[in-house]
This record gives sequence, structure tokens and C-alpha cells, in this order.
Amino acid sequence: VTKLNIFTRGLVKENAVFVLMIGLCPALATSSTVRDGFGMGLAATFVLVFSNLIISILRKNIPNEVRIPIFILIISTFVTIIDYMMQAFQPDLYRALGVFVPLIVVNCMILGRAEAYASKNSVVNSIVDGLGTGLGFTLALTVMGAIREILGNGTFLGFTVFGESFKSAPVIFMIMSPGAFLVIGILKALINKYVKRELR
Amino acid sequence: MTGTRQMVITLFVVAVACAIVLSFVYAFTEPRIAETQAKLTLSGLEEVISAHEYIEVMRDTLWHALDSLGERIGIVFRVFPQGYGGPIPITVGLDTENRITGIRIASAAEGLAETPGLGAKITETDFTGQFAGKTAEVIALEQDGGEIQAITAATISSRAVSDGVRKGIEKYTGHVAPAFDKQELFTEASGFIEIIPDTLWYAITENDTLGIVFVSMVQGYLNDIGFIVGYNKAEEITGVAILFSKETEGLGDKICDKEFLDKFKEGTPEAITGATVSSQALIEGVEKGIKRFEEYLP
Repeated sequence: VTKLNIFTRGLVKENAVFVLMIGLCPALATSSTVRDGFGMGLAATFVLVFSNLIISILRKNIPNEVRIPIFILIISTFVTIIDYMMQAFQPDLYRALGVFVPLIVVNCMILGRAEAYASKNSVVNSIVDGLGTGLGFTLALTVMGAIREILGNGTFLGFTVFGESFKSAPVIFMIMSPGAFLVIGILKALINKYVKRELR
Repeated sequence: MTGTRQMVITLFVVAVACAIVLSFVYAFTEPRIAETQAKLTLSGLEEVISAHEYIEVMRDTLWHALDSLGERIGIVFRVFPQGYGGPIPITVGLDTENRITGIRIASAAEGLAETPGLGAKITETDFTGQFAGKTAEVIALEQDGGEIQAITAATISSRAVSDGVRKGIEKYTGHVAPAFDKQELFTEASGFIEIIPDTLWYAITENDTLGIVFVSMVQGYLNDIGFIVGYNKAEEITGVAILFSKETEGLGDKICDKEFLDKFKEGTPEAITGATVSSQALIEGVEKGIKRFEEYLP
């Protein structure tokens, strides 16, 4: 398997949100704008890459019986690091993401990659796997955030699209919770119809 | 056995390593976090009343706004009334005649949980602008007999804001400069010089400065307890008096008893049975106040 294959598998073929349907809770909750979705995606990517790196380095020294507590310890350490960093350098984004930053700890995508990949593969491959999976998650959240922000707020990254008249009366429910379910449902349906068959 | 031992050792080593890494990250980011937080708070205060300096009287809740001469030109306080989606963080500026100088409502990015496009419109100046220049009596929705126009389809949020602001004014105005006799706390002093308006004084005689008298507040069991403390150069408490307290009758309000308050003069008193929370709060409040103001000791 080439590095590129490992990378694209996480990014597209086994995209956490659109294909495997994991990590859905933050995907639904933090994709109301492009900035929030992208920020959440990058935070999760950071945790994924570094937890994969450390777990892969330690993989031969971790006793099988206590591997899950050790994975969680390592993951929560990186989550706490990104939590502090965001508070210090990106306070607006930190407030917007709220409780979902600490909740990266329990994102099953991250524990899943630790258990299924990093604990069994080389350091470099694990980093590439973490990058691919993380950026795939980021891609999914950003796409959802873009659709929801454009339709629900009339803006893209804060800039007005479709003019002021649409911005004053947008499809508000798109940035609320029902909009998240609707967008992910429609995207999944489209992916099932047009994409999955070619990859099989 | 070796299996178990290896498990324990690995888990221990990983946990210690994680703790060490985190303590470094914390030490590095903590000052930055505090700085960002302070900057945000300050810009929020400036939006509701422009002043030369803001003195924090109650942590994150009440500030005195001073002009460049150190005169108090008003206060700023924060309230969090329950809205439609959650508590609404409101910052209110008040001048010395108890007129609102401005209000600011946190945006969704700062923790406002009102419905976007409906309740969230309370943050817009069309709504918040109505409050400036008004006094507490007319702060209510028009349908409730006041002068504040509610936002269409967002009555609950609008009412939460107007009621929250009015109650906040009622709560904090009486508490800013209550009457009290500083002489009782510092019997030897012949006069007092105000250092921080309504907050800190030097107790003086003709040729010496004896100590400080300061006002502070602490959250009691039911409500805030306001108190005043005399503290001399020898780092002894010369007296503690309660300015206001609305603790439970017959229990928490025992903190107002002279017998209890006099014990402060002989060191830290013990909590009162049946009023543990209130008395403990006061004891901690006095300690914190001393820590905060002791740098002013001559």
C-alpha cells in the first residue's frame, strides 16, 4: 500500500462522516458555519495525527489488556493541549465550538484509528493515516458548514452571498439543528447514489 | 505476575508523562488565556460606558468606572437572565444618577443561546439602543407597562433582557455606596481619605496613617453579602461590619450579629452552626478582600 493510498482512504474512500458515519455528533453540532466546521476539523486532525504518532511509537510496549486506558490518556492529553491553545490564541472560535472541543476525547473516529491502525502500523504510515482521516473529517464539516452558512445565514465565511435581500431573510432553520440532519442526509443520499458504486 | 506488573508500570509511566506535558502546556498558555480574557472583558466594558479606568469590585460581575481624575462616573455590572434558549449574558453601564449609559448583549459566538434570526436579534443596536438614557422604572416591555419595544416574534427573549436589566439595576444601585460609619471600624482614626471611590480609604490621624478600610462583596447562601473591613498596619483586623445581607432569617443572618463579627478582631472565627455557608462565605470574603487590598497598606 502506498502512502498516497493510505491518505486517500481516510480522506475519501473511508471518509469518517460521509462513508463510515462516525464522529457524527460533532459533525452535526459544529457545522453551522464554515469557520466552526473547519476549526473543529483541524482540532480533531491535530489530535488524530499526534495520538496516532505516539500510539504507533509505543505500540510494542503497550500491554494488550490496558491498551484502551492508555489510548484514552494519550488522546485526552492532546485534546487538553488543543483546548488550552484555542483558549489562548483563538478565543472566538473556542467559544463557538464550546463543549465540543473537550468532547473530541470521546470521538470514536480517533479511538477507532488508534485501535484499528496506529497500534498495528509503522510511525510514518500512522501519521499519514491520521492526516487523511482528519482532513477527511475536516472536509466533511467544511462542506456541511458551507451549505448551512450560505443557505441559513446568507454568508460564506462571514461575507454576504446572494445579496442583502437574501441575507435579511435566509432559510434560518439550516443553521439550526434540523438543518444539520437535513444536509447530512441529502449529502449521504447523493454519495450513495453517485459515488459508492465506483469505489466498490 | 510479570504481566500485571508490566500493565501497572506502563499505565503509570504514560500517565506521568501526560501530566508532565500538560503542566508545561498549561504554564505556557495560562498567562495568554488570562490576557485574552481580560482584553475581552475590558472591550465589553468600554462599549457600555467609556471611562478612564475600571475597578473590579466583584469578580466578573461589578466594576466601578472612574474618570482620569479618579472620580466615579458610574458602574458596570453583568446579569444573566434566563432567555428562551439559555441564560443571556448582558453587560449594563449605569451613570451616577442611575441612568443606563448603554447595554451590550453577548453574541452567539460569545455564548448566547437564543434562536438565530429571532431571539438573537436582541443583540442588535435597534433593540439595545432603546435602553440608553433610561432609568429602572421604565425598563419593561411596552405591553408590560414600560418603554421597551419588544422584537416581533421574540417576546420571551426581549422580556428576559428588559426584566434582567431592571432587576440588575435594582440589585446593584443600592449596593454601590451604602451608608456606614467607618469610625466604628477604626476608633483611633481621626479621618479617612478615599483612595478608591466607595471602595478603599486610608484611616489617618493628624500625623500618621493607621491602616485601610475597604468594602467588598461575596456570594452568600441566598444573596450577595456586602461588608466593610478595617485593617491596620500591624496586619490586624480592627473591625468587620455587614453592609447588606439577605440571608435566611434566624440562620444565615446570624452573620450580622456583633458577637460573631467581633471575633474577626481576634483572628479567623469559626463558622456559625446553622449558618455554615453564610459565615464561611463571609470569612473567605474577608480573607480575599485583605489579600486584594493589603498592598495599599502604608
